[in-house]
Amino acid sequence: MQVLKTKRGLLWAWLIAMVVGGILVWGTAHDAALYRDPIMQVTRVKTGKASKETDDFHNVDYQTKQVLSGKILNGKYQGQRLTVSNVYSYSQAMDQKYHVGSQLFVVVHDHDGQRVTATAKDSKRDTALVFMVWLVVALLLLIMQFSGFMAFLSVAANGVLFFLAIVLNGSTQGAQVLWIFGSLAVVFAALTLWLVIGANRQMLITLATTLGGTAFSIVVALLVFHLTHERGMYYESMQYVTQLPRPLFLAETLLGSLGAVMDESTDIISSLFALKRERPELSANQVFKSGRQIGSTIMGPLINVLFFIFVADTFPMAMLYLKNGNSWGYTFSMNMSMGVVQSLISGIGIVLAVPLASFLASRFMDKKVTA
Amino acid sequence: MSTITVLGLVLLVLMVLVGGKAGAQSFLALILNFGLLYLAIVLVAFHFSPLIVTLVVGMLVLALTIFMSSGDDLSSTVAFIASAVVLVVLVLLIVPVENWALVQGFGPEDSEDLEGLSVLVGIKFVQVTTATAILSTLGAIAEAAMAISAGLSEILEQHPQVSTTALLGDGIDVGKQIIGTTFNTLFFGFFGGFLALFIWFTGVHYSFGEILNDKIFVSEILMILFAMVSVILTVPITTWVMTRAVAGQRKRVGKQ
Repeated sequence: MQVLKTKRGLLWAWLIAMVVGGILVWGTAHDAALYRDPIMQVTRVKTGKASKETDDFHNVDYQTKQVLSGKILNGKYQGQRLTVSNVYSYSQAMDQKYHVGSQLFVVVHDHDGQRVTATAKDSKRDTALVFMVWLVVALLLLIMQFSGFMAFLSVAANGVLFFLAIVLNGSTQGAQVLWIFGSLAVVFAALTLWLVIGANRQMLITLATTLGGTAFSIVVALLVFHLTHERGMYYESMQYVTQLPRPLFLAETLLGSLGAVMDESTDIISSLFALKRERPELSANQVFKSGRQIGSTIMGPLINVLFFIFVADTFPMAMLYLKNGNSWGYTFSMNMSMGVVQSLISGIGIVLAVPLASFLASRFMDKKVTA
Repeated sequence: MSTITVLGLVLLVLMVLVGGKAGAQSFLALILNFGLLYLAIVLVAFHFSPLIVTLVVGMLVLALTIFMSSGDDLSSTVAFIASAVVLVVLVLLIVPVENWALVQGFGPEDSEDLEGLSVLVGIKFVQVTTATAILSTLGAIAEAAMAISAGLSEILEQHPQVSTTALLGDGIDVGKQIIGTTFNTLFFGFFGGFLALFIWFTGVHYSFGEILNDKIFVSEILMILFAMVSVILTVPITTWVMTRAVAGQRKRVGKQ
């Protein structure tokens, strides 16, 4: 890492990152051999005439048929030249327009070895994905260096744990979803804080705050659910649900708010430790007060972070509802209400973590904090 | 009363109890942000250009979030300018990548939700998905920019004569402290939201290759990656804006 301190070393680091990125992107654009499904590269496009479509709500759209000629890149039919037809609309909500050079998955129909035809299935998207992953990792390492590496490591470790938990959830048919992801939350928090802070008293206090704040918010939420009989909550509006929606919703909320509560308690508690180090004469009450002060300035923006993550995602579907003649209120209920409930529960956790962090830090900090 | 109302009231009471006036202000900012987000959806449904709507609404959201939280003038102004710059850079990145990845609109996993809905509505979904990706990172950009500029303004308070080159290094140092936890906020925030989708993938036994090219999966992962890029970029950009602001201030003081 010392090398990166010099101008020359830094230049080399950027250069290497560029070359690695180029190789990765080129590699994934030519990785068809790794796939079992046949992939076709388009070499010629013949575009038909657009036809106008009007639906019941007077939405006007245009559909166009294109005939794609290309070559199969992999598998049994490698090298075979084929033509497939594809229909795309102006809005392209469920379809896509292909260009010369596009790669797409096709389904090949073999008619007794006499004649081979194919239909278009879906676009190949791994190149763009790899490019973005590369961009994030490269920027992280080049700008943040060692801290960036640790951040990357903790996200990667959490990703692996997350994947294992999903597999475990699948093997129990989703009956234990809340328990699995609840215990996972504890492991997530402990692992992340250990990587970010290290194993010490500060980490233990932060961990206790994180778990306490998140648990409190879930308890408050359940209480409110009970009192209001979950009026205005539309579990049927949740997307991609394949198991009992209520525990799944709680597990989603729990995980969603965990990161933000962790972020906040780390901030508050590390500031309080630093404060105590500089001015050891401060009493526990004074420390508590400063903690509340710090916390109240960061809680608002943090709730906002989660709000936009939870609710912005519903944009395309909400817009489609409006275009299909639904009222503003119904559109809100069917698309955004669950996201709003999630943001509110996380918000409660984030706010509750402020006094909790200040209290735990002020009481359980060593009398003399050593650096 | 509905669950949302009660939860909202609980949140308001807690925010006021913990943060006093600042807490009430933050709560108001949250409600206004929701209003702006809904307004953006309605405007796009009325065929306003999604990108222009997103840029305008994005700037308003950033201004609201940053200026309605407590903070001194210098750090708020710097945070706002920096996050506006990040927003523009982000648009320049997201637009080509979304066009390249072809992840607009809905996938086969959505068919059940789309039953009875007409999808041929004459609005380019590439732009709608781009708008969604930008809007979902707004909170993270504002938060990171505020953290960096607040950290730097504290350093300036303690060492008023710090050189602008030293300040550049300090900004990156502040960034290093927040990047680990900020990444985890994003990771958990997004993965919490996508839990159902990931369970779907394992339940329906998609192959690895199918997942990596699935429209919805790629679209959701790209959103996380855009958010991460925007947070990383916020660090040097905020620091740079802060050094320009400080240099400008010193020049003005020097002239007097």
